Amino acid sequence: MVEHVVDGIVALRASGLTKRFGETQALGAVDFSLDFGKITGLVGENGAGKSTLLNILTGITSPDQGTIEISGREVVLKDYADAQMLGLARVFQEQALILNIPVYANLLLGSEARFASLGQFIRRSAMIELAQQMMDTAGVSIDVRRHTGDLSFSERQLVEIVRACMGPVMLFGVGTPIVLLDEPTASLEKRDEQTFFDLITRLREQAGSVLFVSHRLGEILSACDEIVVLKDGRRVGAVDPAEASERQLHRLMVGRERDRDYYHEGEQVDVKDKDVVFAARGLARRGAYDNVNLEVRKGEILGIGGLLESGKSALGRGLAGISPPDAGEIRLMQDGWERPDIAHLIAKGVGYVPAERLVEGMIASLPIAWNISLASGQDVFSTPAGFWRHRREAEVSAELIQRLHIRATSPYQSCDHLSGGNQQKVVLARWLARDLCLLILDNPTRGVDAGAKEEIYRLIRALAADGLAVILITDELLELIGLSNNIAIMRHGRIEAMVPAPVDDKPSEQTLVSLMLSVNAGQLLGDVA
Amino acid sequence: MKMAASRGLATSVRALSGFWLPVGVVIGLIVFFSFASNAFFTLRNMTGILGQASTLLLACLGASFVVLMGSIDLSVGAMVLLVGAVTVKALNLFDVGAGAVFIAMIAGCLLGLVNGAIYAFGRIPSFVVTLGTLSVFTGSAWELLQGRALQYFSDSFENLAIGQFIPLIPNIALFALGAWAIASLIGQTTRFGRYMYIIGGGESVASTVGIPLTRYKIYAFMISGLMSGLAGALAVARLGAAGPTLGEDLLLNTLAAIVVGGTSLSGGIGGVHRTLIGVAIIALLDNGLNLMGVNQYTQMVIKGAVVIAAVLIGQDRRKSIVIK
Repeated sequence: MVEHVVDGIVALRASGLTKRFGETQALGAVDFSLDFGKITGLVGENGAGKSTLLNILTGITSPDQGTIEISGREVVLKDYADAQMLGLARVFQEQALILNIPVYANLLLGSEARFASLGQFIRRSAMIELAQQMMDTAGVSIDVRRHTGDLSFSERQLVEIVRACMGPVMLFGVGTPIVLLDEPTASLEKRDEQTFFDLITRLREQAGSVLFVSHRLGEILSACDEIVVLKDGRRVGAVDPAEASERQLHRLMVGRERDRDYYHEGEQVDVKDKDVVFAARGLARRGAYDNVNLEVRKGEILGIGGLLESGKSALGRGLAGISPPDAGEIRLMQDGWERPDIAHLIAKGVGYVPAERLVEGMIASLPIAWNISLASGQDVFSTPAGFWRHRREAEVSAELIQRLHIRATSPYQSCDHLSGGNQQKVVLARWLARDLCLLILDNPTRGVDAGAKEEIYRLIRALAADGLAVILITDELLELIGLSNNIAIMRHGRIEAMVPAPVDDKPSEQTLVSLMLSVNAGQLLGDVA
Repeated sequence: MKMAASRGLATSVRALSGFWLPVGVVIGLIVFFSFASNAFFTLRNMTGILGQASTLLLACLGASFVVLMGSIDLSVGAMVLLVGAVTVKALNLFDVGAGAVFIAMIAGCLLGLVNGAIYAFGRIPSFVVTLGTLSVFTGSAWELLQGRALQYFSDSFENLAIGQFIPLIPNIALFALGAWAIASLIGQTTRFGRYMYIIGGGESVASTVGIPLTRYKIYAFMISGLMSGLAGALAVARLGAAGPTLGEDLLLNTLAAIVVGGTSLSGGIGGVHRTLIGVAIIALLDNGLNLMGVNQYTQMVIKGAVVIAAVLIGQDRRKSIVIK
């Protein structure tokens, strides 16, 4: 759309953005621009300043220094509403939908006034019509009359994306929207991903500008016209995706290259002759999983893969006794078969790291040490009479902070200023404070920067080498293949296949995906070729 | 630059407000009322304040745990009234003397158990549960008292509150300070105390690490009942009778003192030890404004404003996204 390109005027230009939070320099003089009709990728480790940059661009945080121009005009954004009026729209990392109202009400949230007649009476049919039109134009097939809470997580993410992409044009009458997408694909299912990429491509054709933040470098490379790399709050480069590889991007992000031992596959041990630490038989929970049987041996990493709604996360919660199954039993070591009970499992040495770190994983407002001692309040950190062992808590925490390289000034610092990677290490440290025999991990590296990811992989490997049994539930295929001894693939709540993954004969991504989707592997390979 | 400076100031005010600001307010109030009223800084009045503040402090201690875990106990005043009435009845029927205190504590504990069990097992918000029992307990107490003040005659029981084991300090103040010290120790050095912070800070996290939530929630309400029972017995001992208005002012005053002390109603922040300062501020205000001859209605206005101001200054609101 050439008519928008007037001599050097770009959709959005930020110059010299600087932001400090106390001791930390979140952004240091970052220059940044978005062109009309282009998709710009933004990559960087957690803590590199991506979120701060997005917050400043959407008026949520004010910069200490620097200016923002939109379509060549300098603006000062007081809040997100300000930014919206200027055609900016953002999809936040955490979903911002209200679950107990219909989809159309979420799509048109804040614009109800235009459907009001006689002041307060809202014309529902007109709302539904416009909302459905937004959906259809975006190429998303979701009935807007559905209750938002009934949609899958992935569908809800699509609704948010539609709201951000279609809202500026269809609600605010902005000609060329600027859409900022913060990790939009992290919770999208495979089939919804294509819909998403089609949508942003269409947006580009209509001269819209898209900023696309993602940890998945492959996606960034294939979808973007230009890629900006942030590291430690500074812009370290702009990359032409046509000429760059994932490896190069990664090197720019972390300042080092990923080596072949990323998953420490050389340290994987053969566990065939080891004792069974944990077994489950006939586990079932209505609407989540059914007839699950599995065994984990000493030192084994058992991977569990599957699509988002395959029931693998629910199974993890069931195995840990958090949402106990309706039927079935588990057995720990030489004990008898029993129903999973969380207090008993924890006392016996079973640990669980949930996927949603800030909701279930940690209490960020409380000190690191308190979060580390959290699961051991009944034994390690209190006397039989019920007094708290403060000194032991301080010692164990300091030791674990050092061992896991958690970047903190004191064990009594609260967790809310730690980066995602350091927070996740605190959650892991909680279980290392106890004698463990089984650790259940649900997406342990979600939202974690590349550096911390590597450390977590090394830690999981080392724990397994020491004889800990690990159940690794993950959406990341490479992680699943690289770390696991055996891989259970779940589909529609059942274990579809048990795939061995010995060091010298790891299954391919295609094999696993075809099992998850249950299509013939050869057929899929043919499609790709 | 200017923005950064003002933010720095705001942070340091907030850091100070953690401990020294409330202490400063207490000293400030004492100085102010001493000048404003001749009757204020006298032995007689100080002893009077101690007596009044003691009942409030006792009643607040257990409720502070409940607030710390993110729940609320509206029935504190009603438990004080009902237990007070039961205590007088027991004294008059069985001549148990000072031993009536134990009856009161057990009775209070049972009332707390009722609150806690309905809340934890019934999964009903504590606000609703204690709003209900507030009415139930108050009604039962009035039934028991037949709407009249009921006197008791027991020197040993009376001595518990108004005797002076240490000259010039009524015994009820010793009880209250002792109870505060014990409650503070429980809050800071025990598993129970730690779990109160954890449940208040993140109950969904607590449920993934096997903390027996139901049990600890009930404990908190039982302690609230137990302390209310003790407060009820000693209040009755101090006043010489249990009347229908006993504990009437406690509903607002306990919550005000807890919040002014720095324990957040959203849970997880503050602590029982801080409630002492809150109680001091509320008790000084009550007493000082009375002596100055400020009328009852204006007093309410001032007290309400102080509660809001304390929260406004004390809490870091930038962290809370949603305020309900």
